[in-house]
Amino acid sequence: MRSDELAGTTVTQPLAGAGAVPRGRRASDWPTGVIMVAPVALLIAVFFVYSTYRAVYQSTRIESPIFKPRYVGLQNYRDMLDGRFFRQASENSIVFVLAVVPTLLVLGVLVALLLNEPFRGNTALRIGMILPWALPAAVAGLVWKWIFLDGWGALNGILGRIGVIDDPIAFLGEPRLARLAVVLVFVWAQLPLASIFLLAAVQSISPDLYEAASLDGASAFGRFRTITLPGIQPMLLIVALFELLMAFTNFDLIYALTQGGPGTATTMVSYFAWAESFRKLNFGAGAALAIMIALAALVVILVLMQAMPKGALVDDDR
Amino acid sequence: MKQRSLGKSILIYGGASMLAVFWFGPFVLVALASVVPQTSLATFPAHWFRDPLNLQTYDYIFTGKVPTSYEQRGALRSMISSEVRDVPRAIGNSFLVATAVMLINITLGSLSAYAYARIRFPGRAALFSFVLFSRLIPTVAVAIPYYLIVQRLDLINSYWALILIYSVLTLPFTILVLTLYFRGIPAEIDEAAQLEGASHWRILRDIGIPLALPSIVGAGLFAFMLSYGEFLFALFITTTRERRTLPVVLGALSANTDVSWNMIMAAITLGTIPTLLLAFPVWRFMVRGLTSGAVRG
Repeated sequence: MRSDELAGTTVTQPLAGAGAVPRGRRASDWPTGVIMVAPVALLIAVFFVYSTYRAVYQSTRIESPIFKPRYVGLQNYRDMLDGRFFRQASENSIVFVLAVVPTLLVLGVLVALLLNEPFRGNTALRIGMILPWALPAAVAGLVWKWIFLDGWGALNGILGRIGVIDDPIAFLGEPRLARLAVVLVFVWAQLPLASIFLLAAVQSISPDLYEAASLDGASAFGRFRTITLPGIQPMLLIVALFELLMAFTNFDLIYALTQGGPGTATTMVSYFAWAESFRKLNFGAGAALAIMIALAALVVILVLMQAMPKGALVDDDR
Repeated sequence: MKQRSLGKSILIYGGASMLAVFWFGPFVLVALASVVPQTSLATFPAHWFRDPLNLQTYDYIFTGKVPTSYEQRGALRSMISSEVRDVPRAIGNSFLVATAVMLINITLGSLSAYAYARIRFPGRAALFSFVLFSRLIPTVAVAIPYYLIVQRLDLINSYWALILIYSVLTLPFTILVLTLYFRGIPAEIDEAAQLEGASHWRILRDIGIPLALPSIVGAGLFAFMLSYGEFLFALFITTTRERRTLPVVLGALSANTDVSWNMIMAAITLGTIPTLLLAFPVWRFMVRGLTSGAVRG
C-alpha cells in the first residue's frame, strides 16, 4: 500500500534534496533521460524565466493604461512600502497567518488523535473529510458568504429561529467579525488536509513505545508529550510550512467571501497585489508587490527549512 | 480491544459529532437551500419550510423555466440572473480543462519522474531542484507575466491557455511524488530487465507504471482538483461567457446582487458532483491505507 506514502510526501515539495536522486547504472542512457524530462522542463523553464524577467522589468516601470510607460527605478517599491494600505495589508496578513496556522496545528493534532481511535463512523468521517477540501476555495467563499449574510443568511436565520438573537448580525459587515469569519472558513477548508497528514504521522509511531510507557506508568498526557509529540514533530513542521504558504497566498477565498472588506479589514497582501493590478490597473506597482510577496515567502521557507530536522522530509536511503 | 471508559467514549463521540457538523453542515445547508423557494429562503427568522420544497431552481438552470415563486410577484422576476444558466456549460468547461491537465500530469509527469529517479543524465539534480522550486512562487506573483505569455501565444480565451498554466502549476508536485515513488522500487527489478535488453521506455511501460499506478492516479486527482477549482487565472483568461469555467461563473454570480441564493446553491450543488464522482473512489482507495493502520492497535 503506497497511498500513505503519497499522502506523506505531499508537502515535502520545497525540500526534496536534489542530491538524493540515486545514480543510474549505464552512462549511455543519458539521451533517453534528457528526452524524458525535456517536455516538462522546457515548459516550466519558459514560464519561469519569462515570468521572472517580466515581473522584474515591469516592477521598475510605470505601466498602466493611463500613463505613458516609463522607467522609474525602485519608485514602485518605495511607493508601496511607504503607503498606508500596504502596511495595513501586511498587518492583516501577519495576523491572519498567526491566527490560522497555530489553530490548524492544534485542531489538526486533536482530529488526528480522534481519528486514530476506533469508533463507529470513523471511516465515514475520514472519507467525507475530502468534501471541504475538494470544494474550490472560490466556491467555499460563496457558500459561507450566504451562511454569514447580513439580513437573512443561514446563520442569522437559524439563530433567529431558535431565539438566540432578535436582530440579524452583520457578520461580514463588522471588521472584527469579518476577520473571524475569514479565519473560520480557512480553517474549515484546510483542516481535513492538515489532520490527514498528522494522522499518517501518528500512525507511523510504533505501538510498542506506548505499551512500554504504559508499563512504566505514564499518564495519557505524559505519553502524548513524550512519545506522540516528538514522533509527529517533523510532520507538524511540514504542515506548518504548507499552511503558512497557503494562508499567506490566500486569494480566492477573500475574493468570494469579503472582497477584502469591510473597508480594508480583510485585505491581505495577495489580494492587495491583485487589486492593485487588476482593479486599479497599476501593473508596475502590482508587479513590485508580487516580487516582494515572492521574496517574503522565500525567506519564510528558508527559515523554516533550518528548523526542519535533517532527513525528516526525504528519506535518503530509500 | 480494551474496554473504554465512559468519559473517553463521550469525548470521542462528542468530538466526532462536532467535527461532522462543522465539516458537513454547510453542505447539508447548501443542498437544502437549493430546493427551498427563494421567498421562503429570504426570511429572518428562517421559515424555509413555509412553502413546499421543489426542484424548480434546477429546472430553471437546465431548461430556463422560471420558478413559480418569481412569477407570483412580477417585481421579483429580475432576481433571476440568466448567468446561472451558464453553469452546466461552465461545469463542462472546467471538467474538460481539468481532465486534460490530469492526462498531461499522468503522462509527462510519469516520464519525467521515471527519468529523475532512474536514469543518470547531465544536470539531473539541478533540473529536479529547479522544477520543484518553480512552484514555490505565489501565483499572485506570476499572474501578470503568465497573462502576457498567453497573450503573446495568442491563446487568450482558449482552453489551451488554461491547460498550459494549470500544467505548469501542477506538474512539479506530480513529479515530486512520482520521483519519490519510482526511487522506492527496488533497483534489482529493472536491472534484470536491462540485462535482458529492455529499453527504459519498456521498463517504464511494463514495470514502472503498473507498480506506481496508485500514486499516479492520486497525483492525477490532485492535478484535476486544482484545475477544476482554479479561479485567479481563469478569471482573466476567459473573456467570453462560452469559455468561462465554473469558479468564474460562480464568482460572477456572487458579485451580482440581483441573483437569488437558492439558484446559486443549486449551481454549487451541481458543480460539486463531478469532482465527487471522480474524487470519492480515489480518496477511499487512498484513505484505506490509513484506515488499516487504525485497527492495528
